[in-house]
Amino acid sequence: MHKNRSALTPSLIAIVGFLTVCPVVMLVLGSFSQGLGAFGTFTTAKYVQAYTDPAFAEILVNTAIFIAGSAVVATLLALFLAYLNTRTNIPGKSLFGIISLIPMMVPHILFAASWVLLLNPSNGMLNLVLRQLGWEGAALSIYTLTGMILVEGLLDMPIAYLVIAPAMSAFDVALEESSRVSGAANLRTLTRITLPVLRPAILAAATLVVVRSLASFAVPSVIGMPGRIYVLATHIYRVVATGYAADYGLAAAVGMSALAASIILIFLYRRLTSEGEKYVTISSRGYRPAVIDLKGARYPLFGIVAVLSFVLIVLPVLVLIYTSLVPYSMVPSARAFAMMSARHWTAVLNDPVSLLSLKNSLILGVGGATLGICLSFFVSYVIVKVRTRAAGLLESLSFLSFSFPGIVVGIGFMWFFVQTPLYATIWALLIGYIATYLPYGIRPLTSAFVQVHGHLEESSRVSGAGPLTTMRRIVLPLLVPGIVSGWILMATMFVRELSLSVVLSRPGTEVLAVQILRFSEDGLWGRLSALGIIMIFISTGLVAAATWIGKTFTKVEK
Amino acid sequence: MEIRISGLNKHYTSEGRTIRALDDVDLTIPANEIFTLLGPSGCGKTTLLRCIVGLEMPDTGEIAIGGDVVFSAARGLYVPPEKRGLGMVFQTYAIWPHMNVFDNVAYPLQTRGEPREEISRKVARTLHFVQLDGFEKRPATKLSGGQQQRVALARALVGEPKVILFDEPLSNLDAKLREETRKELRSFLTELRITAVYVTHDRIEALSLSDRIAVMKNGRIVELGTPREIYFDSDRRFVADFIGRANFIAGTIASVSGTETAVETAIGRIACERKGAPAAGATVSVCVRPEFIRVVAADAGGPNVFTGTVESLVFVGDAYEGEVRVGETLLIFRVEPMTPIRVGGQIALRFDPRHCSLLSN
Repeated sequence: MHKNRSALTPSLIAIVGFLTVCPVVMLVLGSFSQGLGAFGTFTTAKYVQAYTDPAFAEILVNTAIFIAGSAVVATLLALFLAYLNTRTNIPGKSLFGIISLIPMMVPHILFAASWVLLLNPSNGMLNLVLRQLGWEGAALSIYTLTGMILVEGLLDMPIAYLVIAPAMSAFDVALEESSRVSGAANLRTLTRITLPVLRPAILAAATLVVVRSLASFAVPSVIGMPGRIYVLATHIYRVVATGYAADYGLAAAVGMSALAASIILIFLYRRLTSEGEKYVTISSRGYRPAVIDLKGARYPLFGIVAVLSFVLIVLPVLVLIYTSLVPYSMVPSARAFAMMSARHWTAVLNDPVSLLSLKNSLILGVGGATLGICLSFFVSYVIVKVRTRAAGLLESLSFLSFSFPGIVVGIGFMWFFVQTPLYATIWALLIGYIATYLPYGIRPLTSAFVQVHGHLEESSRVSGAGPLTTMRRIVLPLLVPGIVSGWILMATMFVRELSLSVVLSRPGTEVLAVQILRFSEDGLWGRLSALGIIMIFISTGLVAAATWIGKTFTKVEK
Repeated sequence: MEIRISGLNKHYTSEGRTIRALDDVDLTIPANEIFTLLGPSGCGKTTLLRCIVGLEMPDTGEIAIGGDVVFSAARGLYVPPEKRGLGMVFQTYAIWPHMNVFDNVAYPLQTRGEPREEISRKVARTLHFVQLDGFEKRPATKLSGGQQQRVALARALVGEPKVILFDEPLSNLDAKLREETRKELRSFLTELRITAVYVTHDRIEALSLSDRIAVMKNGRIVELGTPREIYFDSDRRFVADFIGRANFIAGTIASVSGTETAVETAIGRIACERKGAPAAGATVSVCVRPEFIRVVAADAGGPNVFTGTVESLVFVGDAYEGEVRVGETLLIFRVEPMTPIRVGGQIALRFDPRHCSLLSN
């Protein structure tokens, strides 16, 4: 009955398998080799060199503190926001939806750069203000582990929120109500019932943040490197991109530990989420959870949320706009406004490398997301609708790349591309992007496919429509929302992609985020801001365009 | 149209175990009847329905609808569902959420490329038939459960199918609506004079809707007959138990005379009116449904009267349902709510010999 399906699954396994397994295999091979280009004889020299380096212990300690700290900050913030949104009568609930969308809007590298502009010890704007106010003590410095943790924690909070909030709103209130009836007050119910039941979701969120911050490159490079605080990702970057001799073998050997840690963590995350589904009971009657009346605390708590949204969304953009217009870092004042000019903008728009990076990022964003979503479509179809053992393998494969730290995958792909004519072409970036971000396309599409109940297709078949008509008239229209959100996620990820690109991008294939990193390394903050604003506009434009197209092509009647 | 099914087998492998969903099913569904496949979940009734409609492919056997063979394993013949010209109502209704009522109902005609005016005419007529006039432009998902159910029915009927199939169509409705919809469905189908195959696990639905019932168990058809035959004359314990509440009293046949058979049991001798009973000495079960047990005065004499102690009593509105202990045997009974009885009291019960059926063990 489904003969054409049997060829689909193996070919998808081959494609996805290549995309996810190839960089890992090449990384392993590379780590045991002598030099890029020629694998040479088997050697463990790179491992010995990497793990006996006296500086390595400090890097590991830094990494551990950085990821643990970020996970704590992000998870606590997310828990706080999710609880307020789903369980209390706090005003302005639409704000929470916006906060959870931020990771798509403000690229991490720009967020980190804006905090450098605010809090660097020599001329950070907040430090200038403090000095004007007569502050005598040492300047506040963002170039510390604490600074890195706070910025990374803020950036990863929305991811944790997206894991915790649904679990919280699916929570069966009867569990809490029975605790109240048994004599426990609000706070006791929260600590004895609500939080323990939500523990799998909370742990899953924290694990996800650990994986993300381990892979994070923007914050460690923009904030950590100037402060000489190195974590694994920046250590790898230092090995391949700075100094006289790039050593890809050494980088691969170091990368192996980051990759192994990530893969273990992501499987832990999967365990936790499936355990969470066991725990959280969804009330079949479908009534809204009882809301807790915050009484007098309503507006103060809302104030905190408003400040958080301001810090997350408005402040970075304002700082960038301001910096792109003033000649050097200064406190906003009448003098500053008088000195504003468009010189950083003209500099960027006349800079051939910036323009090239703009063009490359646009091509990669639009073309890559389109190709990526096509692949995700078929993969999701097989995962949800075919459901054989091979489909299970495909699911695991496609989920694996979720754990890949971009820079490590980049090193792995580097070992591969050097052997092929793809080296230093935009195709290398395209393949790397799709491999690393495939789960971003697959996740919205699998949930869209799940919603298309098998009976909807079957009733179309019984009504006399063949498989193709059924696909065109029933399945595709119902999937459009999933396709659009998957495309948006992938396109915005690609436009701002940094950690993979710093390894794979070569002269001629510069991309936006890499160019912004160069500006930050050179201290060209005005140009960085101007190019950053352009980057934000492109992302927002792509989101708007995709949403509009999606609306035009569906007539889902509500 | 008549449906002929012969030698149908279908198995699944799930977690290394083989499940025989259909075990050598032979069945003829007569034309223009409402035919119900009844059985507990996992008995294979839905699989059989899906094989008829073409959504599942059997391993072996043959299916013919109105003389056209639509599936034959021996001849390697398989007609896909869209070519079989049938109509089906799904358990979830399968209303397409991105279309309004008109588009949902018009879909089967559109796939055949019928002219636009013809489509509007037929859709309007069908919506009128299911009493949804004026609902054309409504978004289908905004309708109530009962209305969605009628949209699904309209969609299944609009193309004038050879056969209409129902897969537990009432199971998502609440009790009151289910009863109303059941009556509606009965009158729609009687009016249409169409072959309908109906799958359900609900005995009331099966008894009240069907012209004929096939009871299924473990992939086999264990009993076939009209609702009255299935209810009164089943000679299998599984069927008698599944189709209604019943007491099963084990015993041996004491004597057979004319139309009456006497059975010696733990509670005494039970007289049964039953033709073709096994010979004396055979071990049997007497099946007595609680609705055919009468409460009589404690001193009432005559055959089939047994006295016992009321063990429990539940008031269910239109009746009392209770258990009475006769000797060591616990019997369930049902009496009208005004009967003066109480838990712990002594009562006498009389079984109607015409409704004491004999099941071979």
